[in-house]
Amino acid sequence: MIEVYNLCKNYGERKAIQDINFRISPGDVVGLLGPNGAGKSTTMKIITGFMAPTSGVAKICGIDVFENPIEVKKRIGYLPEAPPVYLDMTVQDYLNFVADLKLVESSKKKGLIEKALQKTQLLDVRFRLIKNLSKGFRQRVGIAQALVSDPDVLVLDEPTVGLDPKQVAEVRDLIKELKGQHTIILSTHILPEVQATCNRVIIIHNGQIVAEDSIDNIEKLNQGLITVNVKTKKDLMLISEFQKISGVHHVEQMGSASYRIQIKDEDVLDLIAQQIIKSGAGLRELTPATQNLEDVFLKLTYGQKEQI
Amino acid sequence: MKQIFTLFKKEFKAMFFSPLFYVIAFLTTVLLGITFSISILNFANQISNAMMAMGLGSSQQQNIHYVVFLPHLSLLNLILMFMVPALAMRLISEEKKNRTFDLLLTSPISSVQIVVGKYLSLLAVVLGLSAIAFIYILVARKMFDFSWAPAILALTGIFLVGAVYSALSMFASSLTENTMIAFFVGIVFNISVWILGGFAELVESTAMKAVFDQISLNQHLQSLVEGVLRLNGVVFFVSVIFLFCFLTERVVESARWRS
Repeated sequence: MIEVYNLCKNYGERKAIQDINFRISPGDVVGLLGPNGAGKSTTMKIITGFMAPTSGVAKICGIDVFENPIEVKKRIGYLPEAPPVYLDMTVQDYLNFVADLKLVESSKKKGLIEKALQKTQLLDVRFRLIKNLSKGFRQRVGIAQALVSDPDVLVLDEPTVGLDPKQVAEVRDLIKELKGQHTIILSTHILPEVQATCNRVIIIHNGQIVAEDSIDNIEKLNQGLITVNVKTKKDLMLISEFQKISGVHHVEQMGSASYRIQIKDEDVLDLIAQQIIKSGAGLRELTPATQNLEDVFLKLTYGQKEQI
Repeated sequence: MKQIFTLFKKEFKAMFFSPLFYVIAFLTTVLLGITFSISILNFANQISNAMMAMGLGSSQQQNIHYVVFLPHLSLLNLILMFMVPALAMRLISEEKKNRTFDLLLTSPISSVQIVVGKYLSLLAVVLGLSAIAFIYILVARKMFDFSWAPAILALTGIFLVGAVYSALSMFASSLTENTMIAFFVGIVFNISVWILGGFAELVESTAMKAVFDQISLNQHLQSLVEGVLRLNGVVFFVSVIFLFCFLTERVVESARWRS
């Protein structure tokens, strides 16, 4: 559905993205994940035909974005970082305009506008001027705008930014609901969002893809290790003691009398507890750290910088 | 075609329903009304003087255009020179500022269609302002008997100049995200097309003089106002309009190639 080959984009000297390759099959919900400035928005702008890449090819439904932009744009619903709304229009007029602009057939137009309003829960404000709406509502108008042409591909650039927690949950539910009807690519730097909505994730850092897989596989990236947080009463510098235990993979001092230990399996927990008690430091806490995307993400993006 | 109409409709509505348009239309009406009634009084005096002096009013037909319509239309020209940039300033700069340009550029509409749709909507509003000026001529017809053709041709001339202002002002609007800057740059552009013709007086060589004469808006408008329709004049107006619409299209398209 979406194919990207060797995509590069330079802003003058600065390389925004380098050599990005990925393929997204129909019906997938893919999260484009990365810290701020990683190149997420740039990648999306190129896919939507908003911006030309310095080199490389992007294809939507097998159509080259640059050779036939008009055809591609008919198949895309795009929500940019800032919702592209005309402040002096009502929600209804605005969606009507966008539907016309996206060449929606006039017989289907009314139904699609209703559907978009309904899905984004904007029915109550449909006759209000957009300039009088709050930021959260404007963001929803932006999402409705992307949905109104019933596109094959939805490109959502940070769809939950500026929304309150309830609205965030609603948007996530909406994306889940849209799963299967559209191919969706969404960018975010919020990890739980990807876990909640996507079935695949692409992690971008410094303009390059550092990981690309299904969520389940990515979470296993930590080589099946279990991480536990340990706190003791006294600070007795136990790092070397822990390292002697067989089955301990890595020990990190997190603060005074606080450690983060990676172990191979749960049986090692007993040995650690025994060691602490034996040393007389006094065990205060022994909890498994939630082993999730966050770790992988930090490892891939933050950890990498240290290695360089 | 459908895309152009969609955009035209939206822009026309936005312009026509904005208070700015009504303020401008009001000012235009008031200014034209004052000068028109003064010049028509002048004209009436002239006729009665001539009738008293010579006992006949034969000079009427050739004079109403000069005494009444010419100042009327030059005032309209002046109004358009300053008001078209005010109407055009939001056309593209505001789209850039509010990021709604992202929507247009990711919709199945080409940059040529964007520019044409926007330009036509501006033209429609300029046509509206010209129509206001035409009402006065229509009313004058009730009082005096004159031939329509020169009056309409002169008004068409002013409308064409308004169309040139529209293209220049739209181009100014495409250059910046700031509507105020777009407004002032538009005025500067509009004034400079007049100044350009003035260089004909300054240069020595006859060749350069001819060049400046040909690119002088004044020269071409003058013949239309006098009721002479010349092909080179029309070609000149259309070329300037085309040139600046093309430049605007290039600026719109360039958004794709920059950050």
